[in-house]
Amino acid sequence: MISEILTKYLSNEATEQEIQTLFEWIDASEENKKEFIAAKKSCVMTSLSDLNSISETSVIQLKTRNKVFKYLKFAAVFLVLLGLGKLAFNYNQKANYSKEIVLELADGRSEFITKNNQTKIVNNKGDLIARKFPNQITYFGKVHDQEVVYNTLKVPYGKKFKLQLSDGTVVSLNSGTTLKYPEQFGLNTKRNVYLTGEAFFEVAKDKTHPFIVHANHIQVEVLGTKFNVSAYPENPTVNSTLIEGSIKLAEAENKSNTVLIVPNQMATWQNNSKKITTKFVDTSIYSAWTKGDIAFKDTPFSTIAKIIERTYDVKIINENSDLARQSFTGSIKISESSVENILELLKRDTPFNYAVKENTITITNIP
Amino acid sequence: MSNNNSFESNLFESFKKGDQAAFTHFYEKYFKRITAFCIQFIYDKDEAENLAQEALLYLWQNKQSLDSVNGIQSFLYTYAKSKCLNTIRHNKVKDRFKNDLLNIKERELNIEILNSISFDTLELTELERIIQESINDLPPKTREVFIKKRIENKKNAEIAEEMQVTLKAVEAHMTKALKILKTKLSDYLFLIFILICNN
Repeated sequence: MISEILTKYLSNEATEQEIQTLFEWIDASEENKKEFIAAKKSCVMTSLSDLNSISETSVIQLKTRNKVFKYLKFAAVFLVLLGLGKLAFNYNQKANYSKEIVLELADGRSEFITKNNQTKIVNNKGDLIARKFPNQITYFGKVHDQEVVYNTLKVPYGKKFKLQLSDGTVVSLNSGTTLKYPEQFGLNTKRNVYLTGEAFFEVAKDKTHPFIVHANHIQVEVLGTKFNVSAYPENPTVNSTLIEGSIKLAEAENKSNTVLIVPNQMATWQNNSKKITTKFVDTSIYSAWTKGDIAFKDTPFSTIAKIIERTYDVKIINENSDLARQSFTGSIKISESSVENILELLKRDTPFNYAVKENTITITNIP
Repeated sequence: MSNNNSFESNLFESFKKGDQAAFTHFYEKYFKRITAFCIQFIYDKDEAENLAQEALLYLWQNKQSLDSVNGIQSFLYTYAKSKCLNTIRHNKVKDRFKNDLLNIKERELNIEILNSISFDTLELTELERIIQESINDLPPKTREVFIKKRIENKKNAEIAEEMQVTLKAVEAHMTKALKILKTKLSDYLFLIFILICNN
């Protein structure tokens, strides 16, 4: 009883009532007081140790992969076979947003990026500013600062796209992502881009022009580096994972709220608490999508469902509470797996039924 | 360890000559630790950081008086200790409880604890090693909870959210950590006590 309160007290979680009880106990005998002093002293003295270095090294231990991982690893082999019988979802019936990648030009014109229109983009002076390929646009050139104008690229669910910005920075855009960026960067300005969704950046080195990704309430500033930013509007967080170099995250409205992260760290901005936290992660999981994989590590099903929705442009309705509580670890090759393959795999761990109607999947309990 | 020591000894020499980069190293090494120390007596993060800042500034101003790199820690903690004592004695610690008797009692206890801690160089180095080992020996999850609590000053609820565990689990880890550390460290603190008395 007392030892419980003592712990609470030392970790600053005790109520006033409990503290009163504790202090009365301390007053009851000299022995008690000695014990209390020894306990608090031990606790205080831990501030002598290098907590920083501990938290950066030994705490980060890879968890032993669970049994699902084994399934998924084998899955990669048999998914190739099952993949042939891939289920075709009816993509055409859902028309609440564009099914094609849309490029909005500075003058307000929009165009679709489709398979067949490899073209040049010229500005209003007739200068060539970019080349368009089916899966990529490459921009080049710089302009005077006052002439910087923005293009916006919208990638719908089920598609991915790559941009090479005019400074040489390569941006991979994940499904359901919008990026606004200067058609050509200014000669003396910072390199500002605006992100909703998820993108992987390989920023061209240029110390005199910091590269800044604006996402949600966060600014990610870099000098030259590789990192992933995930800022989907439905998530209450923005995650930024660093592969190479170093980046600085700051709250847009409060620049003093900032953290610097090093490779293999992920910084997370919480919309609600307005806090930025960091931890070490296996970055391959967070950049897997750029290689056409989906990777999870102890990822809750709700998150996986959202990733599947974006990647395959489907809707998932989960009515199975066991599955909702379950987390999974593993990785999947998108090109070799259909949604059904993935669901069949997850079923092996947590049994459920599902029904597919058009592009909506409803998951239910086993009767 | 010995590599690290000679690295720090070299830095210490530069530091004594007024090298700011060397000072930055010690600043970064000790700022959080001193803050973590102070916060347990004055319960205010900003105030604790101010004291840590002050202690480090004082170190910079008095760099000539230090003989060896091992003296830095003792210097900083001794300063922080006396600053905490002053803050408490001058009633500058904010009241934490509605019942004023509790506020008074807590201050008395804290003064007693601070007075009983000695920061002699030799013992500190050995103590630091033992503490480090004790923390390293905690089970991984327990250690993570303990560090989040101690270093980042997080609330149990925040830790639970971050680590995706229940509040009860966080509390259990904290109890476990403190129990283990108490057992390991209080033996040692007792030993220091004997050492001091014999001197």
